[in-house]
Amino acid sequence: MKTFSRRDFVTLATAAPFGVPAILQSRATLTAQEIVERIKQKIGTEWKTDGVDTFKAGDPATPVKGIATTAMATLDVLKQAVKAGANLVITNEPTFYARADSAVPSGGRRGVAAGPDAVFTAKSDFIKNNRLVVWRLSDHWRQRTPDPLSVGLADALRWSKLRAAEDSRLVAIPPATLEMLASDIKKKLNSRGGIRVIGDPKLSVAKVGLLPGTTPVQTALALFPLVDVIIAGEVREWETVELARDRVTAGERKSLMLIGRVVSENPGMNECAKWLKGFVPEVRTTWIPVEDPYWRPA
Amino acid sequence: MMRVLTAGEVISRMKARLGIPWRDNTYRDTFKFGGPETEVRGIATAMFCTFDVVKRAAEAGYNMILPHEDTYWNDRDDISIVSSDPLYKTKVDFMREHNIVIFRVHDHMHSQRPDFLYVGLARALGLDSKYETAPESHRFIIPETTLGALASDFQKRIGGRTVRVVGNPNARVRRVLLGVGYATPAINNTDVDVVVSGEQQETDGALDSPEYVLDAVALGITKGWIMLGHAISEEQGMLEMAQWVKSFIPEVPVELIRSGDPFWAPK
Repeated sequence: MKTFSRRDFVTLATAAPFGVPAILQSRATLTAQEIVERIKQKIGTEWKTDGVDTFKAGDPATPVKGIATTAMATLDVLKQAVKAGANLVITNEPTFYARADSAVPSGGRRGVAAGPDAVFTAKSDFIKNNRLVVWRLSDHWRQRTPDPLSVGLADALRWSKLRAAEDSRLVAIPPATLEMLASDIKKKLNSRGGIRVIGDPKLSVAKVGLLPGTTPVQTALALFPLVDVIIAGEVREWETVELARDRVTAGERKSLMLIGRVVSENPGMNECAKWLKGFVPEVRTTWIPVEDPYWRPA
Repeated sequence: MMRVLTAGEVISRMKARLGIPWRDNTYRDTFKFGGPETEVRGIATAMFCTFDVVKRAAEAGYNMILPHEDTYWNDRDDISIVSSDPLYKTKVDFMREHNIVIFRVHDHMHSQRPDFLYVGLARALGLDSKYETAPESHRFIIPETTLGALASDFQKRIGGRTVRVVGNPNARVRRVLLGVGYATPAINNTDVDVVVSGEQQETDGALDSPEYVLDAVALGITKGWIMLGHAISEEQGMLEMAQWVKSFIPEVPVELIRSGDPFWAPK
């Protein structure tokens, strides 16, 4: 028979869900809808119903055993959620491969007919068979102040203490060359092939601007004068990419690093998990990062 | 003495040879700097009208630029968005000093048959027309290979530095659907193993290819997605454009000025 060391005991006692009082654990009636209502109370911004933050799959009345937060509810993430004992998945990006988030593709997608699709159907079945509930939290999450996506990204890059007090997007780091910084970020974010950079690799950078997610050129135009490098998730290539390239041509000491939209949003959903733990103590909340979708050819 | 060639004359000859009616409601295919009266000494076609392209055109003595994409970092070339940035003034001052005239050729290039952007990209990637399943279908059935080998081959041929791929590198593939620029075809077409294109919104669009491919791979369904980058995917066809313009503008030199892959990738 296995005997517990003192260390084991401490680990068990502090790890959720063992840390949750028994009376709360046994109360299996907290539904997905109730958790969403709590989120609406705590979000700190007016709740708008015309956006994307709605249930995407599953029954909102389902009793929740555990919560998983993620930047994007891929099939791999859903499998990890099931393993972690979570049945409510809170995702920042769509589940069914489009903003519409419909379990059956609608027509008009560059010539593909409407109707059942094997991948859509398999994912829908996986969600049903495992009694998962998927809810999206995107519009309201990025409206919070400070912006949890840039707070999370700074934290993942171990820059939490270097953030500007007045603007969570601005970070002052010890000077490094652009190529050193890019390699360091690649390691810290477990990026495979998604990082692309514009600018002199030997450029010394210290003032950093963080733009996780997707941003239009107006945002980059406003941020560039304040920083040496913009680290963004995704921008349009005919906008900010060419703007950065022209800045370099004009002799400006500026640079742009694209790390990928989903990869840039991963840490912001870790922030979400930490936030949920503060007011949903009844169940365990787990953050599940999405792997960098991209690799580069040999 | 030879009659002076004006930018307006270049555009009117181009319109006459397009093979389709000119649509005056386009906000894209218009003069972005200079106007029809400007005397033309040489013509450069280009993908993006980058500051570097403008400078190299001027150095080569070409003062008319026909770019496929925007000049002022937004699709509408809306000056109000950018005019307060000193870089705008720097670029425009240079263009004024060098008597540059810019006319964008986008919508009509995509409407023209053949669409040079597809012709050029297929040529650059080595996708021979004998593999195309039907003319203008942009769908090719090639000798079977792996997604990894195909992506490596494409990257070498096109000179890309930051080609990105989603999917299983060892997947056996042969049915390739080609897109250019932001016109990325749907990856969930059941007749297609691999979609190749320039740029696509990563998520929250009409069909989010990266997530679809990740899930297809998890289900054992063969799908691959090769993103070349917007610039290099459409730059190839600007060579065909230059050759076409040359055929009806014998008076001055016409040449493609490449801007290449804007990115590098970290180690």
